[in-house]
Amino acid sequence: MVKPRTLRIDLASPRPVYEQIVSGLRALLVAGEFAPGEQLLTVRQLAIDLGVHHNTVAESYRVLAEEGWLDLRRGRGAVVLDRREPKPTAEAKQSFARRLEELVAKAITEGVPRPAIADQMAALAKKLSD
Amino acid sequence: MIPHPQLFAGALMLSVAALVAWTFWMVPRWARPGIYFGVTVPLPFQDSAEARHILRSYRRLAMSHFAIALALIGAGVFSGYWGFVFLGAIWFVAGPLAAFLGAHKRAVRYAIEGTTIREAVLEKRVVNLPGGRLTQAGPFAILIATAVDLQLRWNEIPARFPVHWGIDGHPNGWSTRTPIGVYVPIVMGISILAGIAATAYGIRHLARSVHATAAGPLAYDFGHRIGMFLLIVEYFLAMTFSLVALLPLTGSPGVMSLLVIALLMVPILLMLIPWLNKGRAHIENHPAASAGVAIGDGTPDQCWKLGMFYFNPDDAALFVERRFGVGYTLNFGHSSAWICVALVLLIPIAILVLVSHQR
Repeated sequence: MVKPRTLRIDLASPRPVYEQIVSGLRALLVAGEFAPGEQLLTVRQLAIDLGVHHNTVAESYRVLAEEGWLDLRRGRGAVVLDRREPKPTAEAKQSFARRLEELVAKAITEGVPRPAIADQMAALAKKLSD
Repeated sequence: MIPHPQLFAGALMLSVAALVAWTFWMVPRWARPGIYFGVTVPLPFQDSAEARHILRSYRRLAMSHFAIALALIGAGVFSGYWGFVFLGAIWFVAGPLAAFLGAHKRAVRYAIEGTTIREAVLEKRVVNLPGGRLTQAGPFAILIATAVDLQLRWNEIPARFPVHWGIDGHPNGWSTRTPIGVYVPIVMGISILAGIAATAYGIRHLARSVHATAAGPLAYDFGHRIGMFLLIVEYFLAMTFSLVALLPLTGSPGVMSLLVIALLMVPILLMLIPWLNKGRAHIENHPAASAGVAIGDGTPDQCWKLGMFYFNPDDAALFVERRFGVGYTLNFGHSSAWICVALVLLIPIAILVLVSHQR
């Protein structure tokens, strides 16, 4: 049985809920879990299922639309776009490297063993290159 | 005509009272596992000594209030002082609710934080009302067919006909052969059915399903069963209002036939409630079901006022599972909820005003 696509948030997290929704959906979009032209759940339905305000979901969809992932049109809902990979700038690469280092440092501070971090990053690298 | 009408009325009232008392007796056991008297608790709490003590106290108090209410009603009936009857009727509901509030206050001491993890399954879903469109239209079709029948047999309707009978079977309320006088039961029936159908639609589309597992297909079973229950109620009401609308042509149905219909409803209700409750998602295997975290029902305790009324403007769901009783309740943090309440109150009042003006 194919595992259904799910989105998980934590209402108690210090990260804003809309950011969690954006991150969760973005990860699925990057992984190709949604085909171009596929319609996402409506703002209302996703808000009801997550137990959040519909404005929170609307903001998340708007952010993803600005990143080029979604097409938002009244009456059609949120449709996944066939997003070509943009050419990265040097600044984007540097920003990514810096954020990755910060994330690793935070994980080490929280007690995650370094081998576990390395394994996780290796698995993610393998997934990206597949 | 029935012999000893007052004894009959008394027996009927006692039967209704017994059914209501049984409902309040059982209601705490009908809550979702992990919710106890409107409070989120650890799963094993319901079987603890403290929980059993709270339940016993609640039941003792609720039944005491019932006894007081019955005494007041009985005193009113036999003395002819209807103020006692009115007070008894209010006590009938307010008393057990007060008992619930006391139990809720005691249960709050054992409350724990419900999980703050929320999950949504992102698959497209098709949510239909039970039975499909034709079955859903059935109750309305019954009333419309009755209206058409009345129209076709308009000249057979007496110019003045009884619409209310006393317990002794003698008519004591009349109406006339006018559109309002004849069609009011149809209009009332359609209004009520529309309200129930709208509620069923709202529960299917504007309520959240509390997931059984961390990542699995959404379980709409409880909402679906509630939808089926509401459909059964719609059919029952459609037939009842049709019978009432046809009274100008058929005359009094007789008390015994009404009693048979009422008695048939009791076993149906008794069987339906456990069946409805089986539709609640099973949560024993939920990853968050650890000793320190309760799954709850996807709503925060602090948004439940008095353990019965849900107020959360940050929750998009218009309907949420009830914490006391079976079924759903409105999220009063939504303005739409207040519009629903206003419609439920105003429409019957408008019809009654129309009818009283017509007479």
